[in-house]
Amino acid sequence: MSCITTRSLSKSYGQVTAVNSINLDVRSGDIFGFLGPNGAGKSTTIKLLTTLVAPTNGTIEILGIDAIKNPLQVRKKIGVVLQQPSYESSLSVENALEKYAMMWGVDRKTRKDRTAELIDVFDLGEIRKRKNEDLSIGQRRRVQVAREFMHEMDLLFLDEPTIGLDPGARRKLLDFLRSKAKTGLTIFYTTHILTEAEYLCDQIAVINKGKILAVDTPEQLKNQFGQEKTIKIHLSTRHQKLVELLTGINDCEIDFDTGTDIIIQSSRAEIVLSQILQILIENNVQVEELSAVPTTLEEIFLKIVGDSNASDD
Amino acid sequence: MIQTHPTIRLVNRNLTISLNPGFLVWQVIFPLVYIFVAGFAYTALIDSVPFGNVNLDYPAFIASGMIGFNIMNSTLVSGIIIWNDRRHGMFEQILSGPFTKSNYVLSNVFTIGILGLVSGSIILLIGFPLFFKSAEFNSLTIPFLVFASIVGSILFGSIASIISTRLKSSEGFNVIINTVFLFFAFVSTAFYPAQGAPEPLATGFYLNPLTYLVDIIRAGIFGTFTEFVILEMTVLIAAAAISFIIAIKLLTKLDL
Repeated sequence: MSCITTRSLSKSYGQVTAVNSINLDVRSGDIFGFLGPNGAGKSTTIKLLTTLVAPTNGTIEILGIDAIKNPLQVRKKIGVVLQQPSYESSLSVENALEKYAMMWGVDRKTRKDRTAELIDVFDLGEIRKRKNEDLSIGQRRRVQVAREFMHEMDLLFLDEPTIGLDPGARRKLLDFLRSKAKTGLTIFYTTHILTEAEYLCDQIAVINKGKILAVDTPEQLKNQFGQEKTIKIHLSTRHQKLVELLTGINDCEIDFDTGTDIIIQSSRAEIVLSQILQILIENNVQVEELSAVPTTLEEIFLKIVGDSNASDD
Repeated sequence: MIQTHPTIRLVNRNLTISLNPGFLVWQVIFPLVYIFVAGFAYTALIDSVPFGNVNLDYPAFIASGMIGFNIMNSTLVSGIIIWNDRRHGMFEQILSGPFTKSNYVLSNVFTIGILGLVSGSIILLIGFPLFFKSAEFNSLTIPFLVFASIVGSILFGSIASIISTRLKSSEGFNVIINTVFLFFAFVSTAFYPAQGAPEPLATGFYLNPLTYLVDIIRAGIFGTFTEFVILEMTVLIAAAAISFIIAIKLLTKLDL
């Protein structure tokens, strides 16, 4: 079942088109990664999907509800952690969680139980009595994310939730999100840290300049866009004629870097590698280390966005 | 489980974040200093103050004026709530939850109404020993005071809200709100009567809604119901309605 469906969704601010006719289908129970460079339209899309702003054009269906006609009905079923910090400066961490749940109409007993649980899950025990205004950026972000789990929801929007978090807290949050997704919660997730998206997401969409460029699973995106592989060769000594020796090899880009390291990128990496090794052996060049680097989502992302920018230019 | 109305839940939240010790000191200690220190200190200079057809001693005059002053002061909360919500991201956060903009606006109105009533009542109770000799409570006293608290709260709360929606820097917000409320406080009949004041100043008093609010409160306490007070009530309602509509329009137009 589709949890989010948009058709020809657009948002313009005067002459600027922030979101340009996007079509999305997010399945229930999925963690959907929404990636794009700064200013690509990620946050505007989240504001459209969470009914904070009205679209200029197109349709939005969230959890089977027409979000343009019934925004309040949608908001009752979703959770939102926006990109910018949001907090009540005068409340302690504990009170902020409790009061937020009260605002959502959660009963007193559940509020108390969930506060205790989330303080534990998000490691907020030491700062539970501290006021929000006295917290560090990372601590405040942890409280902001934890707070959203104080109420029931079917769909959660997280706009760069790991900003300011240390690696331990980040991994803990990602694992917590995974466990929540297993219980059926759908998560719409934006981030600039692509290893996070790779670790977490079932589906990924890449947006640039308001347009969706690709949507697929991380593996499929790699297969589709990541045929090019990277091979690194480390030589024991510099070789004066190395550039000359390898110039004739086709279908690859060779970076000689420091002179002892060679980085080769090619879509026919195996063939290119055997040619290079043959040349090196024939010329008595000693290879000290050889490694093939698997294609990362980051490379795929840069390729997709780079291609899109190039075609626009 | 039966849930309370979203507006009530927001009022609960507004009261929780507003009622800090600093605010309570501001609301109680500050007016008391005025009532007891200024009230009695000026008694040596001011024998009595004419109000309508009665003469009030100065402590009774200033104590009744401080009720209006306190109602106005408490409505600053409305501007501060909106300002803080925008500054700390809670405005968007609330509106991405199970609330409408109308819930948000109404919750602010109810919050300032409650604070206005409570702070007015506190000063009334504390000031009561000072003006009980001159007070003429009757069946209209309480309705007049409640009317003044609610309409005054809506009026000044709307003004504070309008300021908070128009300004982006915290310095600008503080300067403007303090200047405007300082003007309201001291160019009014809260501390001194219009009769006998230089004409431009007396005119200035009647360009200020706090004067109307204070006059209505005094009319309620000292039983001086005149046609002029009815006119003042009408002006106050009109000013409150207009500023409330402007505040709602500006709030609903705020960028998200």
